[in-house]
Amino acid sequence: MTQLVQLGKRSTSFAMPFRHRAVDGKVLITNTEGNFLVLSPEEFARFSEGDVAKGSPLYLRLAERNFVRAEVDTRRMTERLRARKTFLNYGPNLHIAVVTLRCNETCVYCHASRADMSATHTDMTRETATKTVDLVFQSTNPSVTSEFQGGEPLVNFDVVKHIIEVAREKNRTAGKRLEFTMVSNLSLLDEEKLAYLVDNHVQICTSIDGPEHLHDKQRKLPGLSAHKTATYWIKRINDAYAKMGLDPTLYHVEALLTTTRETLPKWKEVVDTYADLGCRALFLRPVDPFGFADKTALRVEYPRGEYLEFYRNAVDYILELNKRGVEILERFAAIFLTKILGGEDPNFLDIRSPCGAGIGQIAYNYDGKVFTCDEGRMLHEMGDSTFLLGDVAVPDGAGEGAVRSHYRELMGHETVRALAIASNLDAQPDCVNCTYQPYCGVCPVHNHRTQGSIFGRMRESTLCAVHKGIQDYLFTKIGQGDRETLEILQRWTTVRDRTHFLQTCAT
Amino acid sequence: MTELRLHRDLYVGTAVDEAVAVFAPHATLERHDAPSHWVVQITAATPQRERRVAGELGNYALGLTVKGRRR
Amino acid sequence: MCYASVTEGPHSGMTMDLQGIPTGLASLDLGAASASIRVDGAAYPLDALYGAAYVFIDRCYVLLDRPDGADGAWRVTLAWKKGEPTAEQLRALAGEFANELLSCAWRSQIARESRAMIESVTAQALGGAMGPPSLDDLEKYDFSEETFEDPLGIAMSWEEKHKKKARADDPGAVPAPLQEKKS
Repeated sequence: MTQLVQLGKRSTSFAMPFRHRAVDGKVLITNTEGNFLVLSPEEFARFSEGDVAKGSPLYLRLAERNFVRAEVDTRRMTERLRARKTFLNYGPNLHIAVVTLRCNETCVYCHASRADMSATHTDMTRETATKTVDLVFQSTNPSVTSEFQGGEPLVNFDVVKHIIEVAREKNRTAGKRLEFTMVSNLSLLDEEKLAYLVDNHVQICTSIDGPEHLHDKQRKLPGLSAHKTATYWIKRINDAYAKMGLDPTLYHVEALLTTTRETLPKWKEVVDTYADLGCRALFLRPVDPFGFADKTALRVEYPRGEYLEFYRNAVDYILELNKRGVEILERFAAIFLTKILGGEDPNFLDIRSPCGAGIGQIAYNYDGKVFTCDEGRMLHEMGDSTFLLGDVAVPDGAGEGAVRSHYRELMGHETVRALAIASNLDAQPDCVNCTYQPYCGVCPVHNHRTQGSIFGRMRESTLCAVHKGIQDYLFTKIGQGDRETLEILQRWTTVRDRTHFLQTCAT
Repeated sequence: MTELRLHRDLYVGTAVDEAVAVFAPHATLERHDAPSHWVVQITAATPQRERRVAGELGNYALGLTVKGRRR
Repeated sequence: MCYASVTEGPHSGMTMDLQGIPTGLASLDLGAASASIRVDGAAYPLDALYGAAYVFIDRCYVLLDRPDGADGAWRVTLAWKKGEPTAEQLRALAGEFANELLSCAWRSQIARESRAMIESVTAQALGGAMGPPSLDDLEKYDFSEETFEDPLGIAMSWEEKHKKKARADDPGAVPAPLQEKKS
């Protein structure tokens, strides 16, 4: 191993506890509350030896970030820690309703275990839907988002509308910050459905895998081009928002992609496709091990080193576009940067400690079964019900009060407890010493699926490799200190409220 | 005949008893415990079946032993 | 790639050392379709051994034992469930088990050292999600259950602690208060 830094006698009294990592020929240090500094090897040597003159520029930089024991500001440390963990005070804000497993597209990497269009038994009933809404409103979180997924949720549009209407009615008394989102391939949209979704302030998210030939190869829509259909409706929806007078930089269809082996060399075409569609964000998600992954792995999977090369190329290009005035960000980067530069947690449930399984999100299957998260639900469809928490249809006494206690039983379920412990990075080997620990997160369901236990072994985890690789990239950029790049990265942490999607009680 | 030897320091006796009860329908099982081991002799139609029953019984007893330690 | 050096062994098949692992620590037996690992009990606590073993029982048969004459050492045998594995597959199985064992041992240590913090975060997470109990929840709760020892009688009501026998003519009377001590 190349020795980056030659250390003399290390001081045990100068520095507050810190973690360190070699990044791009420099040394990154982080501390418990998530402050960081990128030091040259010489600066790091002096820091760890305690050989930093009081009042010197290096000393001031270290002291300001709470790395110097003699200057530590415990009040500031406590505030920062508290800011990072605010989400612990509240229950699940994301409630995923899988309203059907039926889907009219066949995607090579489908992780939802979609069913054929004839499988009407996989449609959620109105009765089950009502019970899921009852549970949503039991959440202790003052903000709840009901997210419609599938299969293809538009296949069971009647139940989507039912959930919206029941939830809005309940919210008249509950008074929560209520939002609706739909994840859809858009191919079953028509003007009537569009009008309903737009009029009822439902956020719409779709998948775009890149240029047309790639998208259509991976997402089969019988008789039609899935890409043409999706892009038509993206433009149609964005036009509808503009017609309502909504700011197009804020209100538009969000899209994301699943990176397959075929995607890897096409990073420029993927980014150009998103920019041409007017998308402001793209989420470069790697393929995951759920759903049809077993059958299609040979075709779609790849070593994570190759994914990271794709990622770096794509984000380098995105940064270049930003410098030319095209405002588009990468979602993974934005999530990490919000924690790194902003000191806040954007509450992305898959990347936080502990993760959102159960305590941050709940997934309701079409049949009313309740899971810790969508990944847990996907595993159930693959035959593994480890992450099943309950069932909205199970009777629990008589009267309205019964649902309330049912919610608490779900939250107090031993599986939820186990996942909270398993995803606490302070309890996880490797993570406990990792420099990225203040910003990172693990997925116990992913660990269970790929390594046989909810704890997993991070050195062998593909998810850990992705998280580390992305953060290595981001800190390389930060360490290089290019002013324009830093301004762009800072801009990516800005979250503008999209109040139009908040459901008001009056409507 | 296949002999499964489960060390008394590592496997709980009641867990072995329960495992034997569960797998009794799948082979002829006889207990011949030794000072240091719980011993189960497994006789079935083929050596492959004996191996399988021995392996599954051992896993079952291990699982119950681990579960019992949580309490 | 060669993963093994071959020696004769006591079992029905040939036992082989595993490439890259010191002799005597691990071996594989192709005939028995199994790999064995010798685990130092001083380096790996029993909890870690159980934890790692449990993770593998879905993919192989796991047998724990104590080698004869070995003081404080365990032996783990991982037997392939179906089919005939290659030496490479058995080596990978043994290596993965060793990694899981290390992970479990370290996690056990972390849990001991950081128990208070882990419990605090978990309690806060679950408490935040569950919220306070409703009146209906409290109504269903069995408060008669003895949940803790109370040697000082702190949980006892004043009346229960200081009650006197009721007068014969007034069985429902509240017991008289204790006389205040005169200063």
